[in-house]
Amino acid sequence: MTSDSSVVTPEVVRRVAELARLRLPESELSRWTEQLSRIVGYIDQLKQISEEAFAAAPAEPATPLRNDEPRPGDGDLALESNAPRRLHGYGVVPRVVGSGR
Amino acid sequence: MDSGPPSSGGSRGSPPDPVPGVVETAAAVASGRRSAREVVEEALSRVALGDERIRAFLEVTGEQAREEALAVDARIAAGEDLPLAGVPLAIKDNIWIAGRRATCASRILEGFRPPGDSTVVSRLRKAGAVFVGRTNMDEFAMGSSTENSSSHVTRNPWDRERIPGGSSGGSAAAVAARFVPGGFGSDTGGSIRQPAACCGVVGFKPTYGRVSRYGLVAFASSLDQIGPLARSVSDAARLYRVVAGVDPLDSTTAPHEPGDPEAALDRGVEGLRVSFLEEAQVEGLDPEVASNLEDARRIFRDAGAEVSSVSVPHATVAIAIYYVVASAEASSNLARFDGIRYGARASDADLLSLYVESRTAGFGAEVKRRILLGTFALASGYYEAYYGRAMRARQLLSQDFARAFTRADILVCPSIPAPAFRIGEKMADPLTMYLSDIFTVPASLAGLPAISVPSGLTRSGLPLGIQLLGPPFGEEAVFAAARAFEIGAEFPDALPPAR
Repeated sequence: MTSDSSVVTPEVVRRVAELARLRLPESELSRWTEQLSRIVGYIDQLKQISEEAFAAAPAEPATPLRNDEPRPGDGDLALESNAPRRLHGYGVVPRVVGSGR
Repeated sequence: MDSGPPSSGGSRGSPPDPVPGVVETAAAVASGRRSAREVVEEALSRVALGDERIRAFLEVTGEQAREEALAVDARIAAGEDLPLAGVPLAIKDNIWIAGRRATCASRILEGFRPPGDSTVVSRLRKAGAVFVGRTNMDEFAMGSSTENSSSHVTRNPWDRERIPGGSSGGSAAAVAARFVPGGFGSDTGGSIRQPAACCGVVGFKPTYGRVSRYGLVAFASSLDQIGPLARSVSDAARLYRVVAGVDPLDSTTAPHEPGDPEAALDRGVEGLRVSFLEEAQVEGLDPEVASNLEDARRIFRDAGAEVSSVSVPHATVAIAIYYVVASAEASSNLARFDGIRYGARASDADLLSLYVESRTAGFGAEVKRRILLGTFALASGYYEAYYGRAMRARQLLSQDFARAFTRADILVCPSIPAPAFRIGEKMADPLTMYLSDIFTVPASLAGLPAISVPSGLTRSGLPLGIQLLGPPFGEEAVFAAARAFEIGAEFPDALPPAR
């Protein structure tokens, strides 16, 4: 891993967009790369914090959990009012098995 | 809206504002001097007359508001004691209100109807509030200017060529323009406090865990908090008191008793240790903001506080930490918007195209930028260097604050590094836009309660805000200090001049 912001290349942006399920037109790729590279360059100032300082950092607080008790949810209602395509009370999606890559 | 006569709030001993505040409205309706129906009708006509110029609202729901007001009048007649009796409120478009849409000002949620009230709205409803409409915001609360709305740009009531701040810019502008006495927003890195400062109103972000996020569309779950916007500290305290407290529907709500911030308001700051953040003296700080900060020092000293300075060293890297942590959480939270269960579906060709095309068409540029940044920070090969490092730096910042609060009861810094900028001025430069949050992000990362109080006007007549931070669950002290500061600052509680 290099310490400069050149870590954000057009190839990295293309790959990240794919992971994020976003399509970036090739014509916009250099603009996205430039912007993200500048932001990541700014973020890189975190690399100036010494390892000794990090070693002294307290542990992250734990995420509080609730008891796993079943209760009525509003999932059906939400689906009913909002699913883009429905049939017989179910959401309809394109064929999943054998589709995509 | 037209310029009204300059006036000051009743609480400040001058002629009453043409539009009574939250506490005053609730008292008038609860005592039967006014009806909720009458109050909401007046609010709706102010919106109808004035919002064409400000565009604070995405949707005004007059009929539902009238029905809600009638229900409040019936409850008053039946003898119910309602702390927000008939108070018309503006609600940010990422907070669920049953029967109304909630779109986060995003195309991907166009037409989305939530299955019920958010916990906050349900508590406000129980307290007698009435919901006038959904307010504009930066898409998914990502922004500092409300320019990232998929709908339209909201204008600052103090100068319509300028931004109202963001992301809760619609709620802040609606309160500043006197459409409604109060509103609610959400604050992830400053989205209540920064627009409050830009619009000359009070904005409060509670301690992380104080207010339930059930029914708030998630942006960054370790940071998001809902909070009030109002014209006075006492109005903000009333709104906060009603919504605070543990909620079984949000496991991150804390069991701590919320206390009584309203009762604490008149405590004053005599002997209170008020420390000014040394890191706020940043290079390039607007000179008027710097002199406003000096005024704040004097106000606290005159009010009897023990004024000092304190260092929170990692505050200087707060923006860097924030844009990793918040973007990482956003990329994960926004993965649910895939065209399957809700929102717009752009393709039915195959599953991958459905996802990609729906998300590409549904999200605006800033949301895509944060998703990309967050996906990058969490990606294999970069995770430890970015997300891991940012999370550890966040702990160092929290530790700095914990140390500072052993020597101080309240910390002070500006709310904004400069007054509201011109519409369009920063849209081409995301990083510069991000730096607008430089003073609000530290409290968000450490989960601290923080309030922005109007602190004066620049020579060109734009509002500035001073921010007070308390230790976790220290809301009472924050409100007490904020009230003392408000009295000293003498910010005019007057309708912004039309321009």
